[in-house]
Amino acid sequence: MTRLACFFALIALAALVLMVTDMNGSTAIVFSFVGFPALGLAVLLYLIIRWRVGAFRLNARSVDQG
Amino acid sequence: MNPTGPLFSGPPAAHGIAWLAVLSLAVAGGAAFLLIWGLIRGRLPTGYALTGILLPIAAYGLASVHMLEGSKHATFCGSCHVMTPILKSLQSNDGSLASIHYGRGLVPHEDACFTCHSGYGIWGGVDAKIHGIMHMVRTATGWYTLPIALNGTFDIDSCLGCHAFAPHFRAVEAHQDPDLQKQLVAREISCTGACHPAAHPESALTGGGPAS
Repeated sequence: MTRLACFFALIALAALVLMVTDMNGSTAIVFSFVGFPALGLAVLLYLIIRWRVGAFRLNARSVDQG
Repeated sequence: MNPTGPLFSGPPAAHGIAWLAVLSLAVAGGAAFLLIWGLIRGRLPTGYALTGILLPIAAYGLASVHMLEGSKHATFCGSCHVMTPILKSLQSNDGSLASIHYGRGLVPHEDACFTCHSGYGIWGGVDAKIHGIMHMVRTATGWYTLPIALNGTFDIDSCLGCHAFAPHFRAVEAHQDPDLQKQLVAREISCTGACHPAAHPESALTGGGPAS
């Protein structure tokens, strides 16, 4: 799941680089409608990963995934 | 004739370093390094994973501000094929109201579209950005008909913001007519059409093709 989160975040960054280096209508559309959802998915997956290791429990202890 | 030289390149501040773009790329670079590492290893230490997700969010924040500012530019508007003929008509001095303003330098050249279409005041800018999102949705999905038409009525406060206190504007007899003033203020009529030329020529509103 970490790989999937990283993959989506990298897609989001690719959309960002496209838009910043050559801003026009099409790259702005990719940034807004591909990049943002991809980043949202990456954040969601990250939160699920953290939730699965118990990070959001009240009595949670720090768990290192590395 | 296309004169060149520093005088014709615009104010120096307009050509400075695009710091928002540079910063967002720098932050994105750092994030990409961590994310590729995570992609290869399949896991990241907690602190690195958090950084790997916060950096792209920060990069997106910076890039979004950069896009909000950059999307005011007329070249940005004209980059979508539906708008390209309108941008060309602006630059061709074809007698339309927009090209008259553009040709005489009465609107900033870089932000010509935004200046007239954003509405007056800070909320005009907010409205324009919200409408801009819908423009992108419509462009991406092809959800529009040609010839394109203004969504709603034109906010003549955009005109009056510059013209209302100009002596030349006030001196015009027609502008002093109380009935005309009432109609204009009530948005029953607009500046263009009856008295002033259309903002854009009909030929530019078809996206370069025939009307659908």
